[in-house]
Formats: sequence, C-alpha cells, structure tokens
Amino acid sequence: MRHVNASPLAVRVGLLLTTLLFGALFLASPALAQDESAAGTSDIVRAALVGIGYYLSNSPWLAGNGGFFGLYRPLVAGFFVGIIFGDPVKGAEIGAAINVLYLGFISAGGSIPADPSVAGWVGTALAMAGGLDAQAAIALGVAVGLLGTIIFFTRMSVDATFAHVADGAAERGDITGVARANWLYPQIFLFVISFIPAFAAVYFGSSAVSFGIDWLNSNAPWILRGFEIAGGLLPAIGIALNMRFIFRGTVWPWFFVGFIVSATTNGGINIFTLGVIGVALAALHVYFLGDRAEKAMQPRGA
Amino acid sequence: MSGSPERPPERAPVRLERSDVRRAFWLWTFFSHANYNYERLQGTAFAHAMTPIIRKLYKTPDEITAALRRHLVFFNTEPNVGGVIHGAVIAMEEQRANGADIDDETINGVKSGLMGPLAGVGDTIDQGTITPILLSIGIGLAAGPTAAFGDGNPIGAILYLVAEVAVMTSLAYFFWFQGYDRGREGVTALLRSGALDRLVVGAGALGNLVLGALAFQFVHVYVTLTLIVGDGHFELNELLGQIMPGLLPLLFTLMTWWLLTRRHVSAIWLLVAYLVIAMVGAFPFFAGSAVDPTTQCPSILHEFYQPDCIPPPSPAP
Repeated sequence: MRHVNASPLAVRVGLLLTTLLFGALFLASPALAQDESAAGTSDIVRAALVGIGYYLSNSPWLAGNGGFFGLYRPLVAGFFVGIIFGDPVKGAEIGAAINVLYLGFISAGGSIPADPSVAGWVGTALAMAGGLDAQAAIALGVAVGLLGTIIFFTRMSVDATFAHVADGAAERGDITGVARANWLYPQIFLFVISFIPAFAAVYFGSSAVSFGIDWLNSNAPWILRGFEIAGGLLPAIGIALNMRFIFRGTVWPWFFVGFIVSATTNGGINIFTLGVIGVALAALHVYFLGDRAEKAMQPRGA
Repeated sequence: MSGSPERPPERAPVRLERSDVRRAFWLWTFFSHANYNYERLQGTAFAHAMTPIIRKLYKTPDEITAALRRHLVFFNTEPNVGGVIHGAVIAMEEQRANGADIDDETINGVKSGLMGPLAGVGDTIDQGTITPILLSIGIGLAAGPTAAFGDGNPIGAILYLVAEVAVMTSLAYFFWFQGYDRGREGVTALLRSGALDRLVVGAGALGNLVLGALAFQFVHVYVTLTLIVGDGHFELNELLGQIMPGLLPLLFTLMTWWLLTRRHVSAIWLLVAYLVIAMVGAFPFFAGSAVDPTTQCPSILHEFYQPDCIPPPSPAP
C-alpha cells in the first residue's frame, strides 16, 4: 500500500491533546483555587487556560459534538472558567445566565451575529474578575460575544485556502494529504487566532473591567443598575429566538403550562423534575395526535 | 467529468467491512467542521471522512484522484442527522467500485439534493429542539431555582455536557448506518415515514414546557409605578403580580417573540433597544442623585434596593 494509514492518527492526536489539556486543567485547578493572592504567574496561567478552553470549543478534538455542542455553550464554558478561577458554582451561574441569550442560537445564518463561546469563556472570566453577579454579567457577555464574530469570519475566509491545498493533494492522489489539509493546517491557524485574543482579553481585560466597575460603583452606580435591568430583559430575546422553532403548530400551549407552573411555585419546581413530567406529557401529545403528527409542526425544509 | 474510470472487468469484488464504515463515521463526527470555510463549507471534511472508503475501494492513482475530487466539492448539512447522506454515498461508492453503473452526477446529485432538506430537518431537531431542551434543564439547575444566585448547582453544566454529547453522537451513529444499510431510497423513505415528525412534535412539546419555566426564571421586568388613590398607595408591580405571578415578564417575552417573528425586527436591533431601555430605566429621574451611591433611589425599571428610600410620587389619576 502506497499510503501510510493516517486517519486514525488524527483521532489519536486529538484524544492525546484533549487528555493532556484537561489533565493539566484538573491538576492545576486546586493550586489555582488556593492561590487567593492571584498575582503574577497565576494570572497568566488562568488566562492561558481560558484561551485553551476557547480554542478547544471551536476545535474538533472533543469528538466534534463535545466542542460545538459542549464547550462552545456558555453554560459549560462558565463551569470550566469557574474551576479555573476557583469557584465553579459562581462560574456555572454566570455561564448559565449568559447562555439564556444564546438558547436560540443556530450556527447557520446566525440570528444574533455573535460567538456564544467567547461570551462564555471570556465573558465569564471578566465577570468573575470584576466581581459582577450573574444577571449583570449577561450584558458584558453579549458585548464580548459580538466582538467574537470577527474571529469566526476570519476563520471562515482563511480556511478556504486549505481547501485548495486539499485540491492539490487530490491531483497527486495523495489521500493522506487531503486528510491533513482538513484536520491539521486549519487547526494550527485556528489555535493562533482563537488562543491569542482570548488570552489577551482575559489577561489585560481583567484589571480594566474591575477598575471600570469600581469607578462606576462610586461615580455612576445607576449604570450598574442598568446592567442588572438589562440582565432581566435580554434573556427574553434568547428565549424568543428559540420560540421561533417550537412555539408553533399544536405544541405552543405547553409554553404557558411551563411558565405558570414555575411562576406559581415561584421557581420552586426543580427543572429536572419538570423535564421528566414534560417527557410524559410530550409522549401523550404524540400518541393523541396519531397520524396527524406530520402536520403538527411543519418543520423547516421537511 | 462523467462516467466511471476504466477498470479491469476481471477485478475481484471489494467489500467494505463494518469497521471501515465506522472509521469513516468517526472521522466525520470529529472533523466535520475542522476546516469550515466560505468556499466549500464542509467540502474537505466530506473528503476526509471518505478516505478510509477510498483507500479500501480504489487502488489505481486515477481512480483515487477521481474519487477525492468527487468528494472535495461544496458540501454543507447538519453534521449529525446529515450523516445519513454519507452512509448512502458510501453504499453507492461500494456498488460503483464493484461495477454498478453509478456515475459522478448520480453521486453528486444525491449529495447536493439531500444536504439542504437534511440541514433543515437536522437543525430543527438538533439545534432547534434537543439542544435548547437539554440546555434549559442544565441552565435551570446551574442557576438555582429562582436564579437568585448563590443557590445554583454546577452539576447542571456536567449533566448537560454528558447528555448532549451522548444524545448527539448516538443520533449521528444511528443516521449514518441507516444511510449505509438502506441506501438513498431508504433515506427518502425515512424522511417520508413520519418518524422524524413525531420526534419533532414530541421534542417541541417538551421544549415549550421547559422554555416556559426558564422564561419565568430569567426574564425580570419590574415597573416602579405607585398609584396614589386617596390615602392608598398601590404599587403597579404588586397589583399585576396579584392578577398572575410573573404577568409582566410573560407579556414581555411574548412581545419579544411577536416582534421577532411577526414584525421581523432583527434580534440585534432588539438587543440594542433593550440595552438602551435598561439604561434609561436605571437613571434615577425622580429622586436621589445619579452620581452619589449613598442616595440612590428607585428608577423606572428597578426595584427598590435601598430599604429606606421613599418611593417617588407618580402622577395621580
């Protein structure tokens, strides 16, 4: 056989990298949590870990789905940033709040031209550095997320080059070369354009954000109240964007059932419990529709 | 380019092993968006996923180059549900390598014909319903029962991560082998069978339920208006809350949905508008000082955060 069988190599490299990076993160986390004086090297390490996390969220190394459907989501990103900064509870809370805005996020086209991943990784890190609570952090996350689109557009444009590298390899009948043009070169480029901005934003932005918040607190505190109010209004956009897909057909009344159950218990119902009840109700809904299920939603493109 | 490359008629049949198809599946699952770009989108990833198949089926340099070229063209679909296309294409490549009359146009036709519809169905299932449902549950747990902060459970993030990856990857595996085992006719039959419709309807019902709960948890609208009737002070927010808890947030969410879907206001415009509304609503117009943190009094949209602050009088009716 002329060609070295390189395909499993790509997978092996991915698994190795992932194990190494996550191993490093978990080994480093107790040390980071203990180091409350947070000066010098640990700031660099924290910013670097956030940068690596942001790169991984865009990379293929976590079985594809673990990236785009996993670390890319602010909920997951916030949790890991929380570990990096020594407070996973707070990190997950901030990440969860930021994530509500991106509930209706669909990659293709993009209803909000934003990068949820950078909002999750960098936004949570900056909010934790500035001591913001989760509701006020939403507005900060949105701002960071908008800037993140630059990275996405750069990547989408430059990566076309590697398609031509693959064309060249195809002409030579070089199967390994085609594979490499897909998995190796774009990743080197992606690491550079995602790690460096995220690292710099966290390393240099942390002190700027905490300075800014201190200043506002003593000079124009109403602006911080404005952030909090915005944190109560903006989630409506994320929820409404998701409603476009499901608040339709025959299933929309369940939205009101969910809202009212939650409101009358003042949020006391555990959402996981509600989800289990929801599975039962959804099954009944499908059974009672019977053959009419086809026209019950009329999804796009079907 | 059309027609199959010349191949010796006496050639022994080549069969793909299950493991070859599985290897192609993992390559696609990992690397479908590794080189996502404006020119070909997932084009190079499709070719990358086909490399174990090409290596097994084609031996001459001409055949290999033709096969690589065939799969380097523009391609874009939803990577998990869309794997059914790859499955069907692998089955076609296998038949073609064994002398079946399947030309480039047929294979390209299947790819470009199915990628659009499956992107639509796939995005609706994966990104439009399953992901938001699991996210809603994870967010709800991680943020705590009333999103009051400090009482959250970070296990919500782990739960989401594990459940999401498990569901997405098994879904992808299922569709990939459906495509390979049933071929292109099978894919069309699957799309018409109504099984996907039932999945979408069921997920939609569950999704609405948890989304409604999440809306109460996260959407907060507070109006500081006190109606003075005679000697009585009535706070508007409390009055509305007595009609139904969370009435204002519910109406606000429905208004946002209406603006987005019925009036086609762009989300980015709403984002800016809501930020401006929040800032204006935070400014202490009625009392207190904008610069002195110790004399902060309620603003239009913020609840009283200073217990001793006297509510501003609103115009009496």
